[in-house]
This record gives sequence, C-alpha cells and structure tokens, in this order.
Amino acid sequence: MKYIDYMQLNPFQRFWYSFSNALKAFPGKLKNFFVAIGAFIVKFFKGIGKAVAGYVSRFVKGDWAVKISYIVMGFGNMVKGQFIKGLLFLGIEIAYIAYIVFFGWGYIQKFPTLGTVEQGMQINPATGGYELMAGDNSMLILLYGVLTIVLTAIFLAIYFASTKSAYAVAQQVAAGEKPVTFKSELQDLFDKKFHITMLAFPTLTISAFTILPLIFMILIAFTNYNKAHLAPGKLFTWVGFDTFSEIFAMTEGASKGATFIELTKWTLIWAVFATVLNYLFGMILALMINKKGIKFKALWRTLFVITVAVPQFVTLLLMNQMLQEDGAINVLLMSLGIIDKGILFLNSTPLIARVTVIVVNCWIGIPYTILITSGILMNIPADLYESATIDGAGPVRSFFSITLPYMLFVTTPYLITNFIGNVNNFNVIYLLTGGGPSTENFYQAGYTDLLVTWLFKLTMNSLDYNLAAAVGILVFIVCATLSLVTFNLTKSAKNEEEFS
Amino acid sequence: MIKSYKLRRGLTNALVYLVLAVLGIIWVSPLVYLVLHSFRDEGLATVSYLLPKTYSFKNYIELFTDTATLNFPRWFMNTFVVACFSCVISTLAVLMVSYSFSRLRFKARKPLINVGMILGMFPGFMTMIAIYYLLKAMGLTQTLLALVICYSAGAGLGYQISKGFFDTIPRALDEAATIDGATSNQIFWKIILPMSKPIVVYTVLTSFIGPWTDFILAKIIMGDMRDNYTVAIGLYTMVQKEFVVNYFKRFLAGSVLVAVPISALFLFMQRYYVEGVTAGGVKG
Amino acid sequence: MKRIIAMILAVLMMATLFVGCGGDEATNDGGAAATGLEPEAGATLKVWAPDAALEVFKAQCDAFIAQYPDAGIKIEVVAQGEGDAATNLLNDPEAAADVFSFACDQLNRLNDAGVIMPVNTNLATDVTARNSAESISAATLNDLLLAFPETGDNGYYLVYDKSLVSDEDAKTLEGVFEACRKANKKFIVDAGNGFYSCMFPFTGGLKIEGLEGELGDVQKFNDYDEAEVVATLEAFAKLFHEYSDIFFATSPDKISAGLAEDPSTVAAGIDGSWNASTVSKILGENYGAAKLPTINVNGTDKQIVSMHGYKLIGVNAMSKFPNASQLLADYLSGEACQLERAEKISWGPSNTNAAASEIVTSNPAISAILEQAKNSVPQVNIASTFWDPMGNLGNNLFKEDAKYDTATLTDLLNKTIANIRDE
Repeated sequence: MKYIDYMQLNPFQRFWYSFSNALKAFPGKLKNFFVAIGAFIVKFFKGIGKAVAGYVSRFVKGDWAVKISYIVMGFGNMVKGQFIKGLLFLGIEIAYIAYIVFFGWGYIQKFPTLGTVEQGMQINPATGGYELMAGDNSMLILLYGVLTIVLTAIFLAIYFASTKSAYAVAQQVAAGEKPVTFKSELQDLFDKKFHITMLAFPTLTISAFTILPLIFMILIAFTNYNKAHLAPGKLFTWVGFDTFSEIFAMTEGASKGATFIELTKWTLIWAVFATVLNYLFGMILALMINKKGIKFKALWRTLFVITVAVPQFVTLLLMNQMLQEDGAINVLLMSLGIIDKGILFLNSTPLIARVTVIVVNCWIGIPYTILITSGILMNIPADLYESATIDGAGPVRSFFSITLPYMLFVTTPYLITNFIGNVNNFNVIYLLTGGGPSTENFYQAGYTDLLVTWLFKLTMNSLDYNLAAAVGILVFIVCATLSLVTFNLTKSAKNEEEFS
Repeated sequence: MIKSYKLRRGLTNALVYLVLAVLGIIWVSPLVYLVLHSFRDEGLATVSYLLPKTYSFKNYIELFTDTATLNFPRWFMNTFVVACFSCVISTLAVLMVSYSFSRLRFKARKPLINVGMILGMFPGFMTMIAIYYLLKAMGLTQTLLALVICYSAGAGLGYQISKGFFDTIPRALDEAATIDGATSNQIFWKIILPMSKPIVVYTVLTSFIGPWTDFILAKIIMGDMRDNYTVAIGLYTMVQKEFVVNYFKRFLAGSVLVAVPISALFLFMQRYYVEGVTAGGVKG
Repeated sequence: MKRIIAMILAVLMMATLFVGCGGDEATNDGGAAATGLEPEAGATLKVWAPDAALEVFKAQCDAFIAQYPDAGIKIEVVAQGEGDAATNLLNDPEAAADVFSFACDQLNRLNDAGVIMPVNTNLATDVTARNSAESISAATLNDLLLAFPETGDNGYYLVYDKSLVSDEDAKTLEGVFEACRKANKKFIVDAGNGFYSCMFPFTGGLKIEGLEGELGDVQKFNDYDEAEVVATLEAFAKLFHEYSDIFFATSPDKISAGLAEDPSTVAAGIDGSWNASTVSKILGENYGAAKLPTINVNGTDKQIVSMHGYKLIGVNAMSKFPNASQLLADYLSGEACQLERAEKISWGPSNTNAAASEIVTSNPAISAILEQAKNSVPQVNIASTFWDPMGNLGNNLFKEDAKYDTATLTDLLNKTIANIRDE
C-alpha cells in the first residue's frame, strides 16, 4: 500500500492495517529472534574456544614466571613488580580452595545423586528416646551445589584473567616498558573501566539473590521434590523431564494438562484485558483531567492517585470484604433498590468472578496509568490537535488518530512491562478471590487462578514443588519470548541513541 | 457560530466534570470506607451496614497500647528503618546500573541489558526458600538486615525507567566534559546526578514503598521473630483466623496509619514522580 | 524397625496393665525420673504456643522448670499459630522451636519430612493411657506415637442465640433454619471451605481411612454407599437452596461479628472452638452451644458427622535437648496442665480424666464439641490434596445456579474423590 492510500483510510482501517501487518510480520520476527539466539550461542562457544586456545598459547609462549602463575595465581604479577595485584589474585585462589575443601566439595560430590543416605531414627536404650541419625539433605545439597558451581564459574573467569594479566605484564617487561602500577589501574576503574566499578556491586547482589535462587528453582523442576519426597526426612533425586510430561499428561478428569491449558488461556485473557483496559481508561481519564478549561486539576489527579498510597494487600483484602454476599457493595446496591438479593461477586459463575477481578484491577491500575501518561500527553504537540480540529475532527476521532498512535509509539516499553506484570499479578487474584470459584475440573485451582497463583498453591497447599517449578519455567518462557521479541524489534530499542 | 462553539465547549466540560466526579467518588469511596470504619466503635470484625454508628479512637489507641501480642509501633519502626536503608541502597544500585547502560559503552552491555530484562520475569515464589538458606549461611535470618538485603539486592534490575531518563540527557554534555578532562566518575557525580532529580525521587519513592507492602518473603525470613516483623506481616497476621474477630478494626486503623506517611510522601513528591516517569518510562 | 517398635510398645503396654493406671500423678509430680529420663543440664528450650495460650504456657513452663531445680533449664515461649506450625518448622527446622503446638492434620507432613521426634518409648505408654483413644490415634502414624495430645476440641459446633432458636429447634437443621427464617436472621457456615464442607459427604457415610499408594500420599476412603452419600448431599443442597435467604456461606468470624451487631443479624451458625469465648461473651445467657444438628434424609433424621481435629504437642527432631523436650512436652500435655487450660482459656482436654471434670462439663462450648467428637471423622492422615476439591464440593451444594439432582451430585462426588486421590 502506498503512503497516499494509507492516508486516506479512516483510523480504524489504519489500525487494522498496521495490526494485520504486524501479525503477518510476526512469524518472521520470531524466526529472526531464534536465529539471533542461535547466533549468540554459537558466538558464546566460539568465544570459549578462543579463550581456551589463548590460554594454551600463552602458557607455551610465556616465560617461567607466567608458567608458575598457571598454578600459583598472581605469581607472574608479583615477580614483575605488581605486588598488590598479584596478592589479590593469590588471595582469591586461596579463598576459593579453602571454600572447596571445607564446604563445597562435600556438596558437589553428592550433587549428581542429591544424596544417598536417608535420615533415620533409632531408639537409645538408656533413655528410651528416639535419636536422629542424620542423613543427606537433598535440598541443601542442591542449593549449595549450585552455589559451588556458580562460585567455580566466577573463579574460573578470574583465573583466566590472572593468566592473561601475568602474560601481559611479562610482555611489557620484555618490551622494556614499566609495568602498569596498581594506582593507575585503580584510576582506570573510575574512568575507562568505570562500568566495572558501577556494575560490580549490583551484579554481585543480583547474582547471589536473584540468579542463584533462579537456577535452584529451575533445577527443582527436574527433580521429584514433592509431597512424597520432603527434605530433610526423605531424599529426592533427578528425574529429567518427567515433571514436564506430568504437566502435559492429559488424563481423565481434573488432569494437570487440562488445568495448565485452561489456566494459560485465562492468564493471557486476563493479562490482555487488564493491560488494555487500564491503559485506555487511564489515558482517557488523564486526558479529561488535563483538558483545557477543566479546573482543579491537582484535586482530580490526587483523588485518583491517592489510592496508590494504601498498600495493595490492604485495599484488596478490603475489597474482598466489600464484595461478599453481605458486603458493603451489595448492601449499597440493595439499599438503592437495584437488586434485592446479594450478588456473589467472587464465588458464583466463572464469568462474574472474572469480570469482577478485571474491574477491581482497573481500580488499582488506572491511577498508575494516569500518573505515567499525564506528562506525556502534555508533550504531544498542540498544533497536531489544532490542525485536526480545523479538519473537522471531533475529540473521539483525534483521540484515535493522534493521541493513541502517539502514545502507543512512545509507551511500548511500559506496555510490555505492564503486560508481564499482569501475567505475574499474584496479589489481585490471591487476595481477592483466592482463585475461586472452585471447580472439580481443575487440579488444585479455580476459575480465576492465574498460572502464578496456581504455582503458589502447588507449593503451599499440595507441596508439589517440582510441578510448581516447572510451571514457573513455562511462564517464564512465554513471557521472555514475548517481550524479547517485541522489545528488540520495536522502535524503542533501535532508537536508543536518538537523543544523543 | 462562536456562541454555539462556546456552548458546546461548556457542555463538554460539564460532561467531563460529571464523569470525573462520579469516577472520583468510585475511586475514593473504598478509602473513605476504610478510614470511617477504622474509627468504628461498635461491632466486631464487620458490620452489615455501610456507615459506622459510633466513632472513637479506640482502635488506634489499642494499636499502640495493647502491644503484648501484636506490637504495632515496633513493627512500624522496623519497617521505617528497613525502608530507609533499602531505599538508599536500591536507589544507588538503580542509578549505577542505568547510568552504565545508558552512558558507558562496553562489550557486555547489550547482552546484560537483555539478561536484566528477562530476569525479572520469573515468578519468584520457589526462589524464596533458596534466598532463606543463603541468608542463613550468612547468619542473617530473622534480622532486619536480611530484609534490607532482600529488598535492595535485586533493585538493579529495575533500571529501565531511569535508563530511559538518562538516555534523554544529551551526550554532548559528557563529551564536552571529557574534553575538559573529566573522568566518567566525575561526570556521573557532578553532571548527570544533579540533572536527575526527578528520576532519583521516583526511584526513592518506589523503593521506599516496597517494604510496607511485602508480606510473603518477609514472613518467611522472620519466622517466629515477632519483634522483627514489618507492618505488612503484622497487618496480614491480624486478618488470620485466630485474630480477625478481635483485630479487624485494628487492622483497618493500622492500614490507615501506614497509608498516611506514604500518601503524604506521594503528594509531596508527585510532581517529580510524574516528571521522572514521563521522561524515563516511555522513551520511544 | 517398625516391628521392633511395635513389639516394644506391646511389651510396655503389658507392663502398664500391672502397674495400673496411676500414670497421671507420676508424670505431673515429676516422677518421670522413674522412667530413667532426666532433662539435660542447662537445656535451653524454645516453645511455640498460640497467642491465646501464651501466658498459660509461660506459667506452665515455669512450673516445669521448678520441678528440676538443679538442671538449670531455660525456656522461651514464643507465639506461633498452630495452623502454620508445620510450614514454619519445615522452612528451617534448626531455627524452629524444640517443643511446638500444632494441629493434627500436619502430622503427615512433619513425619514425611522427618522433623518430628516420636514420643519417648518410656513415656508413650503413659501418654496412651491417659488420653482418649481418638486423640492417640490422631497422634499415631504407622503404629508409632509421634506426638503428645494437647487438646481434644479442634472442631466445630452449633452456636445459636437462645432467644431466637430454642434448644428444641437446635436439634435438627430444618428446625434451626426455620427458626432463623422466623427471626429473619442469618445462619452462617463456611460451606465452601473443605474443613467444614466435608461434613456433607461424611454425614452420608463417607470416611477417610488414612493414606495408601506406593508413596503413601494417596487418600484412602472407606467402602461407602454411593447412593446414601448422594442422597445426603441432595438433602443438604435442597435445604440450602430452600433457605437461601438466611443461609450464608462465609467465614466463621462473621458469626461473632453478626451476633455483636445491634440489632444482631445472625441467629445461628457453625463455628470453630477458637471463637467460643468471644461468642459466649457476646450472647451472655442467650449463648446456645450444641453438637451439630440432624438432617432429614428421605424421612430419617441423620446426625451430621463432622471432621474433628486435635491439637498436639510435638518435639522437634533436631532439638539439641531431646530428653528435656520430651519431658516438657509430656508435662505440658499432662492432666494438670490440660485442666488449667480448660479453666483459663476454655481449651477442651484430650485427657480422659480432665475431660470428665466439672470445669469441662460445665463449659457449654467444650462439652458441645466433645459431644460432637463422638459423631466425627478424626482429622488424621489427610492428603494435602484433600481440602481444595472438598471445598469445591461444598460450593456446589449452595451455589444459586448449581444443579443438585442425583446424577449431577453422583458425578460431583466421584470427581471430588478422584481429584483428592489425584487420579
């Protein structure tokens, strides 16, 4: 379609046109995405190969001090005068070895089986009491095994760097240069290598408290850690992909497979409605508040935004009370004479409950949209609207042909994060309906349960830890693919340098 | 013509006022309900009518005097301390990460940005037990320090909005400073940070609110150490089976008390919040 | 292993026959020395007790310490609800209490995870002898006594406002409903919660009989008469729909809340023992407490069968002071302590002597619950998958649009059981 044709379409046709184009392009984008991932993996392994090759060639080419540095880290640096740096390397090596000897090795050697000795009890004849015969704790073996592996990976990286550094300093000395002083390297950390200084602390904490626990969780999905294998009393072990086949097993009745599929459908429907409605209505409200000639703007905005200040779980628990059969909302409706018997908002038909949670979520989410969009809306060039008015466009038309496209263009990242946030929106469902209305067709779940609340119930109520972990992984795969594809292929990522 | 235009505008404005008023009432009424019932004197957990019949400060007073089992004032202080510390650390972490991603150029930048983005998408429940045992290995379980660590450790992952903000600051500024001999470190502290008030305020606000609302992870970390509970766990405890009958009104009063400082902060800083999020959240 | 324990138990039981039933005094007077058990010197113990009982437990622990003046025992009593004791214990057994109070449905989980220490064989005989048989069975798994019964009242009973519902009305569910309708006030039962809703099929003769299966995690049911159970469910559903104007399925805290209103909005309900003192205070002399009523199923009045739980005191398997912990648990679950708790905080005893005492029989709520216990299925050996499907069954009996003909309910019952068994 030529530009001139496009301009003649009405906003709805335009929207449909772009939308169908995006749909048509999606498979291609998805393919590109996976190709990119593949390329990344190839590059990663190539990089490792190159590192190993360099590691070997440096050993061959290096002098005796470099060769010793391959066993005693930092030796080469110390010999050539970089004492502090050499000592640091040596210190790291000693610390790592001490960790492995005194702690890590015990766990890492049991890691392949996750423990073999089951805890037992025996009677002490002297007292008649039972005594614990401690066994292996599979959970701790898994956790500390992962910790050891992560630490080993970090250590290896430092080890490579140390051999590289020993070789480099040897080259410098051989070329007759003075080795770089520790002070100038420190200075570098605040200028050319500033990113290392800036990212070191956050990376450390994120690795310890986000990545490591995540690896632990992912691995649990490949074990049989469930109600029949509870640590520390019982052992659990690796089972490969059994948990995943259990999820997709379509047995009769309330199978996990059927539950998973139904909950995935509802999770996506919920996320779309929750995101789109919040976005649209929030924007319309923001437009109204910021409309020319409307007074008390601060008051109106405060009225909505004040709800953000009350902790979410409080408002949700309160809403739960208000939506009961004899709760405040029914009392109000009855006293107004609109209904004569209380409506079971949260616990009758799936439809009523689902609509209710979406509406309540609007109540919670719209103030955030107002906050976020207010500023941008004011940034839309006023002459756009003026020319539209001159062309005879009413407010609805200018909303669809100017405001919405502009906002969509500008706020894509926000929309994606919001969508993911809604897929994982635990609080609203858990505190409002607890997943109800219940049904005999789902395994440990109700009609409004999202995958994430199902996951919570599986851990807390039925103790299916492995199942929960597997569900977590599936949720993650869906979210990550969706957002990486959109994020990297929308304009926002490409135009990053636009303002530079 | 002009008259009819004016009339039309007047009508539209009237309509807008009407819609805003109706919706405003809908939005605020649950909060009004919350506040009114926190002063309710009669009845137990809930009543079957809308407005309380008698009002008193009893629920608030009891919250501060009857502290033998549920020590609200202590929890309030705990939360305040945790929130202050974790908001300082989180803000620093967020600014450091987003500045690096926005202004500095290094090889691992792009992959790290992507990794950072997807890390936030795992549902976190299963990881809590791992976090607990890591904290235990450090001897920190059941302490407020553990909470500070938990709330600020992952903060760096929330870099997106402030990265967007930094992206809008012209790079020419950095370049000029570099020519004048400034290091990256100096540019960050002396040039970029002073210009980033809105985004700093936004980050401070969001990370300050976190500890007031989390009731799951905090409970797992604190276990039976009631003295170190935060208000969120405390309030959640008040609506459990054993407590709800006698404590529901106090739960409402406590919620109001939690909401007051946060809303004050919010209203006070709203302008910055809007500016920060507008510039950062949305860059296209 | 199990066989050896069983044999030891049997021998010990024989021994008690000769000694007689004088066990109670022996334990409460610190005579446990006779069993060869002495607390470790300098033992430092942590005890988990629910908030309501915190003060009583503290006093009782002090009394225990006084029994062993030379041992230098220190005890810290920490508040911890019985409902999530197992969850918190499993999170970190090493940081948890040495002696803890918990509800008996968590016993499986504690045993599976190997974090509960069985009752000392020298104490077991006496514990078995002094407590009701049902409470002992609730504390026993695979013929091994794992915990000390603490109460016998973790169940629900019928509470009613005597000025609106007569004692005669309270005998049948139909009577209660009719009286509520006459007063135009609510009847509340948490029928969508598995703990309460299991009474509907239980009344029809369904029973849980422990766990089975390769991994011991599948709920076993008795050979029930399907037609009978379905007919009972149908009778319940019919009543609920017929009286939908006064029947409210909502959490039990609404009972006390409704009774406390002026004028009250609730006339009767099925409430848990833990709210009894609040409710009796509100109603004063109009406080009515009785075992659950009967329901008319096809012309015959059937006693409603409830689920009845026990609170137990357990010893942490990781306790550093197992002997002191065992002795303390034994002491806290003894007759004197149970009686004191019955008097001070209205906890119904599991101890047979204490249950027969004047304090207990004169307390309407406790005696109603202990009376109801005779028509109940004990809350033992319950699969973790039990509650959710059972709650759904309850929901489907009262929901406005739910069908309740025989075919639908048969299907519902079968699906519920299949879901509980995860088949």
